[in-house]
Amino acid sequence: MTNTPFGPEDMARRKKRAIALALVLGGLVVLFFVTTLVRLGSAVAERSF
Amino acid sequence: MSDINAQISETPAASLGGQGSVADYFALLKPRVMSLVIFTAFVGIIAAPGSIHPWLGFVALLAIAVGAGAAGALNMWYDADIDAVMKRTSKRPVPKGTITPQEALGFGMTLAAGSVLVLGLLVNWLAGALLAFTIFFYIAIYTMWLKRLTPQNIVIGGAAGAFPPMVGWVSVTGSIDLGSIALFLIIFTWTPPHFWALALWKKINADYTNAGVPMLPVVAGADETRRQILIYTLILIPVTLLPALIGTVGLFYTLANVGLGAVFLYYAWRVYRLREGAEAEAACKKLFGFSTLWLFIVFALILAERALGLPLFAPVFG
Repeated sequence: MTNTPFGPEDMARRKKRAIALALVLGGLVVLFFVTTLVRLGSAVAERSF
Repeated sequence: MSDINAQISETPAASLGGQGSVADYFALLKPRVMSLVIFTAFVGIIAAPGSIHPWLGFVALLAIAVGAGAAGALNMWYDADIDAVMKRTSKRPVPKGTITPQEALGFGMTLAAGSVLVLGLLVNWLAGALLAFTIFFYIAIYTMWLKRLTPQNIVIGGAAGAFPPMVGWVSVTGSIDLGSIALFLIIFTWTPPHFWALALWKKINADYTNAGVPMLPVVAGADETRRQILIYTLILIPVTLLPALIGTVGLFYTLANVGLGAVFLYYAWRVYRLREGAEAEAACKKLFGFSTLWLFIVFALILAERALGLPLFAPVFG
């Protein structure tokens, strides 16, 4: 597994890309969550247990 | 496994991909084009009759922006051969080698699907479908077909850049109304004089010639291009006033646009009259610069009218 053409710089760029992707995915979660609240409006609190 | 490892280790890293930085991927989105798309789509959202929850308006704008970025990335995937030949575009991530064409394709398709799904699921499906059609039009109709085929490439292809305000409008209303078509027509008729003014620059013209892209100045010559710029400008000025007939704008927009149209016509006339030397080149640069500003001001006027609460005209039709 040590045979790799990728140097330390490549790995550093990969790490930054991974962080950016994680942020985008986190943002999507927030986007869908808040939109659900907005779309449901006051009905979001109406739950029957 | 060891054979595969050995094979990978002998392959140059660049050809394996994974070389692109976050900035390279951001460049794939054509951020300058994206900023204009965001602005015109925002005006579409504000100008549309009715209202949308501010958060949903933000979601719509985000999806439209990402959709525009996806179109940019797919364009850079398909046009990498042309981009490599042209000085203006040779530093883009794909011809530069930092992102492989396959990576650009995957990135663009993911963003395209994601933006359409987000707009469709979270806002409305007509807006989502229109965004999907916009991306399809820009890639399949303009980039893959018309761009390399006909000097009318940017006339028809310009529709792709004209859709964003309509998508914004439809995000609010859920329907394609005359007002949204008027905003579409403004950008549609603005595109030819804007891009042909750029294409007339000597170094840009040389770029297109080297790449074999049949832009109008390359195929029909500079004189014919100057004539077409003037004709499209004469069409553009009345088109700019269409929103007044539909009741999308008021007196402030209309009067300001009469003045702006006159200045646009003046610059187009200078391009038409000055054919040779540095003066002619300068006239093209001035028209290109002014036309960029012109589009921004025209759409900003619509925003200003809404922000100031100025009265709108009663619709003559629509």
